[in-house]
Amino acid sequence: MPHALLQTAMACIGSVGFAVLFNIRGKKLLLSGLGGALGWAVYLCCLHTGQDVFFALFLATAAVVACSELLARLVKTPVILLMVPMLIPLIPGGDLYYMMSCLVQGQYARFGQYAQLVLTESGAIAIGIICVASLANICTGFQKHPRRAP
Amino acid sequence: MPQGNMSGPQTVLAGILDIGELLLTSGAEVMRVEDTITRLCMVYGFVKVDVFTITSSIVLTVTAADGEIFTQTRRIRARDTDLGRVERVNALSRQLCQAPLPAEELRQAVQQVRNGPAYPEQVRFWMYALTAGVFSVFFGGNVWDAAAAAVAGAFLFLILKSGQRLRLNSILLHMLCSALTALLIVGLTRLGLGQNPDKIIIGNIMLLIPGLALTASLRDMINGDTISGLLGFCEATLKALAIAIGFAAILTGLGG
Repeated sequence: MPHALLQTAMACIGSVGFAVLFNIRGKKLLLSGLGGALGWAVYLCCLHTGQDVFFALFLATAAVVACSELLARLVKTPVILLMVPMLIPLIPGGDLYYMMSCLVQGQYARFGQYAQLVLTESGAIAIGIICVASLANICTGFQKHPRRAP
Repeated sequence: MPQGNMSGPQTVLAGILDIGELLLTSGAEVMRVEDTITRLCMVYGFVKVDVFTITSSIVLTVTAADGEIFTQTRRIRARDTDLGRVERVNALSRQLCQAPLPAEELRQAVQQVRNGPAYPEQVRFWMYALTAGVFSVFFGGNVWDAAAAAVAGAFLFLILKSGQRLRLNSILLHMLCSALTALLIVGLTRLGLGQNPDKIIIGNIMLLIPGLALTASLRDMINGDTISGLLGFCEATLKALAIAIGFAAILTGLGG
């Protein structure tokens, strides 16, 4: 449990760090950090209750995207501004590295395992983003503007 | 950039493309770029807008009210993530949708958005150190690993900066930076700062690895922007490969 708390705290600071590198300012830095911590907390809770990685990441992403959609409307800013730094702790950067590292060292069996893992993880995140973002678009009637002239 | 002899609609089109280019090079999604360009063209009185955007190019053809057709394209080379700029461009395009500016003022407004505020280099330097340290703890390192990762993160920032000044291509730059960082990390652990080289390395990899680009490319593909998605996917995979080669060359060579 202390480890989980430490990890969540680190996810929070890490999100803020990336938000600064992405040139985000003011109170949105704080929101990014809280969102990053929320995502990781949801992920850990899901794993703790016995869900698999795909579903855990999907739910964590869904929570983060829903949170950023709501907050973005409150503070009047584009959604990706909050969403991108909030998602940072969930991004499978480490596994992507291990995958490529196995490939470079010729360990093809482990490369295959990692490749599957990375695709599952980033696929779960991508689907989570799209599901919640589409839901938000439907709720707010996003398609009011003319996309093509008659 | 618009030339002096351009007629009105072409200048407006160039201004709108500038906005699209700014969005794309600052890390906005392809869909947002197309959406923004389409809205702006409609606001400026074009009756039909066809915009095709991939991560490396924007093609825009519009039909004016009198039936005349204009086309301009942009080649996009370098992209980074500057979400502050995305926000400013977004604010500008909202403002333009309310009250379109004349062509000349549009250019100035875009210029202003392009050169908006950015964090000073010292802040970015410390953030590289902080983030590397934080992520090495996140992946299970201890305090000393975090300290080593922070030193390596700061070093990584400096060599990335100087590498960009040398105008190396991005794949080569990432390979070189990860090799040099791995060398430093192996050196640090030999000297006794940090016990787990793998945790230190993961902290630094988070700063380099295009995990975000990989996820965004899958999102683009599922969204229907298949070409952009594939381009992003290839780019991210190649970059990850370059980083792995850089680290692996040092780690297998020195047995870190």
